[in-house]
Amino acid sequence: MVNSVVAGLTSGGGYALLGLCVVLTYRLVAVVNFAMTAVGAMGAFVMVSLTDKGLNVWLALVVGALSAALLSGLLGAALVRWFSGHRERTKAAVTVALYVALTAIGLRLFGGTSTGAHRFPNPFGDPVFTVGGVVVPQSVLVSLAFALLITLAVGLLLTRTRLGLKLQALSERPSTAEVVGIPAPLLAVGVWSGVGAITMLVIVLVAPRLGGDFSTLAGLISTALAVAMVGAFRSLPLTLAGGLILGCLEGVSSSLDAIQKYQGVVPFLVILVLLWWRSRREVWDTAHSR
Amino acid sequence: MKRTLMTAAATALAVSLTAAGCQSSGDSGKGPIKVGSINGITGLFQTPEVPKAVKAVFDEVNAAGGINGRKLELISKDDAMDPSRSGQAARELIQSSGVVALAGSSSAVDCGLNRATYSKSKIVSVPAVGVDPACFTSPNIAPVNPGPYALTTAMLYYASETLKHDKVCMDYTVLPGSGGGIEDAIKQWETLTGKHLTHKNLAVGQGDPTRYLVADKNAGCQAVIYNAVVGPWFAQAKTQGMQKVDFILAANSYTDANAKVIPPDMSAYAGTEWQPYTDPTLPGNDRWAKLVEKNGIQKTAFSQGAVMAADVFVDVLKTIKGDITRESVTKAFKEMRPINYPMVGTPYVFGPGDKHNPIQGSRFVKADKGGWKVLPGGFTVPGKS
Repeated sequence: MVNSVVAGLTSGGGYALLGLCVVLTYRLVAVVNFAMTAVGAMGAFVMVSLTDKGLNVWLALVVGALSAALLSGLLGAALVRWFSGHRERTKAAVTVALYVALTAIGLRLFGGTSTGAHRFPNPFGDPVFTVGGVVVPQSVLVSLAFALLITLAVGLLLTRTRLGLKLQALSERPSTAEVVGIPAPLLAVGVWSGVGAITMLVIVLVAPRLGGDFSTLAGLISTALAVAMVGAFRSLPLTLAGGLILGCLEGVSSSLDAIQKYQGVVPFLVILVLLWWRSRREVWDTAHSR
Repeated sequence: MKRTLMTAAATALAVSLTAAGCQSSGDSGKGPIKVGSINGITGLFQTPEVPKAVKAVFDEVNAAGGINGRKLELISKDDAMDPSRSGQAARELIQSSGVVALAGSSSAVDCGLNRATYSKSKIVSVPAVGVDPACFTSPNIAPVNPGPYALTTAMLYYASETLKHDKVCMDYTVLPGSGGGIEDAIKQWETLTGKHLTHKNLAVGQGDPTRYLVADKNAGCQAVIYNAVVGPWFAQAKTQGMQKVDFILAANSYTDANAKVIPPDMSAYAGTEWQPYTDPTLPGNDRWAKLVEKNGIQKTAFSQGAVMAADVFVDVLKTIKGDITRESVTKAFKEMRPINYPMVGTPYVFGPGDKHNPIQGSRFVKADKGGWKVLPGGFTVPGKS
């Protein structure tokens, strides 16, 4: 059981990164982006398609990140252009539709689970140390470091810089932000592009552990949302902790025979419990606040 | 109110009469022999090569004069792995198109959804690829592949008897409803060998596989039977230092793409359902390879199943004396004699039983230098070889 918990914890860094991407998008542009991992997976597969053709891996990484940024930017531009006045739930619904469309396109372009498996570069696969019977590779530390970096850097950006102030204004009152001279549409598309590129990098980093085919990687959105829910879509440090908690829960659930068969339910159970916890003091017809 | 009721009753009567008028029992006895198939062409489970390969066999038969002077016509429907489309496809094929049987289906949802329809319509289906468990437990369906249960027994048997491992473990993703069948497959292996699994997890899910691998490592597994996503599994098995463990993968993992993602220092085998498609010189593969090459069809294991299903179907049709109708085709399959087909480990027979899993055993390949190497020794049929 201890070994299983340690094994689960080693997955936590990757899960945290996925959750942070969701929270990042939500805090900066106020959209729960269901298409996030599909966009990242598109970029990641652009990258591996190029490396398959013999392109240098770093160059392919840059091209992949740029393509994810472009795709995410287009998605953001569409939302700004046609849905800026709509409610959050409408925007979320649009991203669900895009998730379905992108998954179908990705499956067609890059193949299914068996036929489209790719070996992603794993530069951090070497072992660092062993805890109990679990070998901890460099990638675990890199994921955790990357998650910490995002948590700190974005926290500082939003609270200590002028750009951060503008971004918060854009997220919370986009129309008012535009009135006071903040170039809201341009800034929003920029944020979407940036988050797209970061998501692609995260997908490439977690792919050797979490899935090498398009549909598995695009499907990581369910894990990402469960982790983001721990941070209530706001708190970056809590989201980071959420990734580690989810990893632990998975480790525990796979080691106990009685609940082993229900382990796939764990992320959804986390979502459910947290939704209930968050809404326990809400009064009917009271406006939700972000 | 009364008038509304009258209108509703009249409409219902009209609809039922129209439906009855559209129904066909597939027994016209003239024109082409219509044969149906339900295939995943779009959606998550895609097998576009299957209906093409079945058609290629039918074209060959038609070019040689057909069967009793009648041509074979394949009507393939794409269900896109969508349950409602699959049910609709079966009803259209049986009621509107009047097919005499189904041959060469390859859908992930067809058997489970349409088994009752096939039984009720007294029509037989010979799937090229039986995917869901219901394909092997229905009275009117008999696929030409071993399927998950027979393959699991063969994989366990290979691990314990051919590779001579004492500590055999199992990490499986089990489809809803098929857990009992997998447990039966394990029991069959236990009865044959007197051995027991050292560690078992039938709930392998998505996400990081490290937790499952660590459990295998702690149990001291020498061989692990596995049927889920390949890439991350082997990347993490390598990280956990499991190079000495023999991993035996199910047939769904036997693809060129998967061979490339297995690190070179890991030991990975795969159980195949037909003669390994990567070697066209193996018995039975020569005819399949020539046919698919000639017709520009993708060389996959599924296209092997398609050619076999079509060949078996044609062979049984040729034994029918008199009109080829749905009734005579169903009767012929229920009374057929076993057909020895070199591409599989045991003879194919439909027969009168309530469930059919005629093809048993598996031939094993090993991942080697980014490809699959066919291992000598032919098919491993539990209890027989």
